Amino acid sequence: MTKILLTGFLSIITLFALAQSDGGASISGRLTDEAGNGIPGASIRLQQGKALAITNVDGAYLVKKIAPGKHVLVVSAVGYKNEQSAIEVTAGQQLVLHFNMKAAVSEIGEVAVLGRSAAKEVNRQAFNVTAVDAKKLYNSTLDLSHALDRVSGVRVRETGGLGSRMNFSLNGFTGKQVKFFLDGVPMDNFGSSFQLNNIPINLAERIEVYKGVVPIWLGADALGGAINIVTGNSRKTYVDASYSYGSFNTHRSAINAGYTANSGFTVQVSAFQNYSDNNYRVRVDVADLKTKEYFPRQWVRRFHDTYHNETVIANVGVVGKKYADKLLVGLTLGQNYAEMQTGARMTTVFGQWHRRGTTVMPTLKYQVKDLFVKGLNLSVNGNYNLGYEQNIDTSSRRYNWFGDYSYNMGQGGELTRTMYKFRNHNGLGTANLSYQLSPKHSFMVNNVFSTFKRSGSDELYPNDEKYDQPKKVSKNILGLGYKFEYNEKWNTSVFVKNYSQVNSYAKSYNPSGGWGDVAYTQMRIRYSNQGYGLATTYFIKPTLQLKASYEKSYRMPETEELFGDVVLLEGNIDLRPESSHNYNFGVSYQTKINQDHRLSFDGSFLYRDAKDYIRPTLNQNQSMQTYGNLASVTNMGLDGEIRYSYKQFLTAGVNATYQNLRNNTRIEQGQKEESSLYRDRIPNMPFLFGNADASLFFRNVLKKGNMLTIGYNFLYVHEYYLSWPSQGTDRKKMMIPRQFNQDVNIVYTLANGKYNIALECKNLVDNRQYDNFSLQKPGRAFNAKVRYFFSK
Amino acid sequence: MKKMNKILAALAFGAIFLGSCDKEDQMGTVDFVEYEPKGNIKYVITATPIGTTGIADYLLTADNLSGGMISTRGNGIEQDGSYRYYMTHKGRFFSLLYGQGNPGDVTTYRMQPNGELVKTKYFQTETVQAFTKINDELLLIKIPRSGQPNAMFFRIDALQSRMIDQKPVNIVDLAANGERAHFTWATQVGNKVFAPYMSIKGCCGDAFGTAYPDSSWVAVFSYPALELEKVIRDNRTSFIGNYFNNGLAVVENGDVYGFSPASAKLNSQLTTTRPSAMVRILKGTTEFDKSYFFNVEEKSGGHHISTQTYLGNNKFLLTMYGTPKSTSGYLRLALVDVVSQQFTWLKGAPEEINSVSAAYNNNTGTEDGKIGYVGVNTTSGSQVYKIDIQSGVASPGLKVDGGTITAITKMEY
Repeated sequence: MTKILLTGFLSIITLFALAQSDGGASISGRLTDEAGNGIPGASIRLQQGKALAITNVDGAYLVKKIAPGKHVLVVSAVGYKNEQSAIEVTAGQQLVLHFNMKAAVSEIGEVAVLGRSAAKEVNRQAFNVTAVDAKKLYNSTLDLSHALDRVSGVRVRETGGLGSRMNFSLNGFTGKQVKFFLDGVPMDNFGSSFQLNNIPINLAERIEVYKGVVPIWLGADALGGAINIVTGNSRKTYVDASYSYGSFNTHRSAINAGYTANSGFTVQVSAFQNYSDNNYRVRVDVADLKTKEYFPRQWVRRFHDTYHNETVIANVGVVGKKYADKLLVGLTLGQNYAEMQTGARMTTVFGQWHRRGTTVMPTLKYQVKDLFVKGLNLSVNGNYNLGYEQNIDTSSRRYNWFGDYSYNMGQGGELTRTMYKFRNHNGLGTANLSYQLSPKHSFMVNNVFSTFKRSGSDELYPNDEKYDQPKKVSKNILGLGYKFEYNEKWNTSVFVKNYSQVNSYAKSYNPSGGWGDVAYTQMRIRYSNQGYGLATTYFIKPTLQLKASYEKSYRMPETEELFGDVVLLEGNIDLRPESSHNYNFGVSYQTKINQDHRLSFDGSFLYRDAKDYIRPTLNQNQSMQTYGNLASVTNMGLDGEIRYSYKQFLTAGVNATYQNLRNNTRIEQGQKEESSLYRDRIPNMPFLFGNADASLFFRNVLKKGNMLTIGYNFLYVHEYYLSWPSQGTDRKKMMIPRQFNQDVNIVYTLANGKYNIALECKNLVDNRQYDNFSLQKPGRAFNAKVRYFFSK
Repeated sequence: MKKMNKILAALAFGAIFLGSCDKEDQMGTVDFVEYEPKGNIKYVITATPIGTTGIADYLLTADNLSGGMISTRGNGIEQDGSYRYYMTHKGRFFSLLYGQGNPGDVTTYRMQPNGELVKTKYFQTETVQAFTKINDELLLIKIPRSGQPNAMFFRIDALQSRMIDQKPVNIVDLAANGERAHFTWATQVGNKVFAPYMSIKGCCGDAFGTAYPDSSWVAVFSYPALELEKVIRDNRTSFIGNYFNNGLAVVENGDVYGFSPASAKLNSQLTTTRPSAMVRILKGTTEFDKSYFFNVEEKSGGHHISTQTYLGNNKFLLTMYGTPKSTSGYLRLALVDVVSQQFTWLKGAPEEINSVSAAYNNNTGTEDGKIGYVGVNTTSGSQVYKIDIQSGVASPGLKVDGGTITAITKMEY
């Protein structure tokens, strides 16, 4: 069956290819700046005629269907002097022409606002997407999560300092409802050693934030959006090494290096490390060990919060071959260690409990363009994680905030005595096939298949192992998409997705009640759901863009939600997938007041109507938690950003997000009357927040080619209630207080960016920071970073 | 450069301005001045809005329970944490946090002379599964359901709101059958503590399952030494009380009555062969009274007991599982006289009861034993019901808008 389909598909493609062979010539090549870096987003056109191309991320371009004869090729890129080249082509000729562009000093001011980097190109898609240009942040000590925290619609909430647990929310969707990708590959199975809160910004080239509607080439069961981290795919030889040291004994280093031989052989290595004692001061009530009374409002240092992780990613393979534009075999190795200082509240103090995790993940990446026929591109990715996660809680001590402790009798745990260690055996395969039939019509098929088999054991309870049978999930997400580009002004994408998942599990029970007697019931659950969506954009003017998009999305229940764990969580096999209708409307506009003042405006309106939220609740006799499809939520949100630049001297911007998340569950389970919380604002969720930033650039400081940058960033989060706003006496309610946070940095760049020295101060005036009720984040902290960058 | 100075100055000013407005966190406790109560009564009703996230309990106060309406909307003292349990003792209202990792917090409230409920103290305990009042103390018991073999008993000075002592009790040794003794509750009887327990496997994907479904046990401890003196056993019914559920009550003449819901399970299936019944321990003895057996299941037509509240004069309010031979589903209310072994369904009680207010902390009955109150949560709302004990008729009282009633309790001021 598959064979017939495949043959049929290939014949169709061949037909398309034949129809397209019109005997035209083509010109391809690469645009570089004076330093040899590719220039993305530049235009290459013929003086006569309509043929046009835009350079990609690497600065490469391809102009097709050029009539034989003499032409003048005009190359223009914002910030560079135009280039012209007279050419003559014959039918079917494939001419290669490279350009080295000279900076146009008089126009360079446009670069800040209007020069479209790859990141800005992404923003011009029909999807509601924001791209963060990571390169601009390379001299900072940010990790990915903090870089994302500056995007409108995004809030990253942390429980503490470096490496602490974080909760990501995007337009009100949180946790597993938002999916993360690394170069288009879902990150679900990467393990705790390779996550957003420990990956340094230098690993990424840009970060794309898709809000609400996820394009099909990112195949996943995301309920409300996706984050795609794009790493550098430059072909050059490069080294980017950095080290930073800062408050709380924080050491971070990262090395990215790559080498590509003329033969196409390539080696890429990224390695990074984070270490912090996280021993920042907190203001707490300290319990007396004996009487358990509190000493109120003490300043103490955190004493059990060390975090470190070390990760190496290595890839080897070939690029630029006929059979493979990229073929890389790789291995990701990582480990992390995290001490747990507190529970869900600061009153809960731990002194020994910690977690460990490893990632051992072989990977394969394959990309080929123009496979069999022009315009048919294929990319395939695969990986398998062999790493483990472990939770170690074996101390019978009871700590207080002074670091003193008393002993409980016997073999205890601070929370739950455990050394449970599990492996998820995640395997993942993605395939993406795209075909551009003509400049107007392109098609795409994407398939993501993943497997999960969790098996775990606890050396403290060897007898339990036979009761803890592996839980298996296989998930497949197939997407079909079509993009219609009517003209430069208007394009539309439509897509359908099929989500299917099979969960299987053997539930153990004790048939006789006799010690050690075990029997199993096999359980199997299958889901299949169809989602669909549309994204369209129209350029009223080249600088004024309108966007609209819609998706019906699903998230499948996770194994833990379905089957529970062995101790505290009861399974619920009747769970349904969460689903949502996501709508977005956006507008963006750029303008200038004479040549010096440039402004850009972006605004979007969104609406979400989500049902069947999977939420924890108590089981019937209130002895365990279980998950249910319990809540429906709507969100009407607004976010906007204004950016300004003045010559080459200043850039500044401000963004704000308002989200009106409302409980849409009219009648709660087991009730017949309207809920008193119906249409109330969803609690414990920031609803008004924003960022402002400004940077000043001083060129040729001390020496020609050296630059000094002073940057400032301000974060505001409006206060919000821990619990439902309508309930209880107002002045006696628990609040997560309003947050102000200010960061400043000074970066001195030498030798055109080869050497960089940065000084940062985070939380400049030592405001007290809370993302979660009572959990204090670090106060003022200083960091220094040195970075070396070399490329050829 | 001048321009830059201006910008920097503006930024610096902004930074300082923004930095100066953090508020100091407050413990929010009131310095309470002791006073002689004037005999006024106020009821504290705890209610939980029904929802799935960010749920907190609210403490509401009312002057009487016989009528009117009260709401959690814009009203009530918010409690931190999703699950809290309450105990009233010595004019103090204790709000105990359950969960969120150990240890748990306790907040102590008292009634001001003007009838306002105020927070007077915070202190720390542990997340516990059973608690009771003894003399001037609270006794809290933390009972691990797996792993750790020791339950911890914590003695709390109720007047000072602080811990006096703690003591481990090995519950695996206590069960002595390869399982674990999981205390369902504890009750002061004379100068001792009676703690009934259920035997649970505590492992193997079926923590609350047991291979011993047809026995009852009550552990007897001395106080305050908390030495185990004896285990009272019987095989006529199943275990006494239930998880987080008080099974024992002491009547006026000092006799102790206990009920068994007959809900022992294995792999979530009811396995006990014994009926749901009430049993008795005569005053001054530490044996079940073999001559007494009140087979409530039989008298009720096959229903199991869920909870008990002692109303006085040998009368108990029982909540019964509404479906015969089942320990789930809607509840029904019944009155029993334990001496005459009379069972009557309460007349005038609502249908489709999901839950009732905590039976272990209901002190709302009148002194003369004629009237009792119970908070009832049904599929169509929550309301306090007034029970005329003599006639066995319940009538609707205070309506609680928007939340499940978790406890009702009386305080003097």
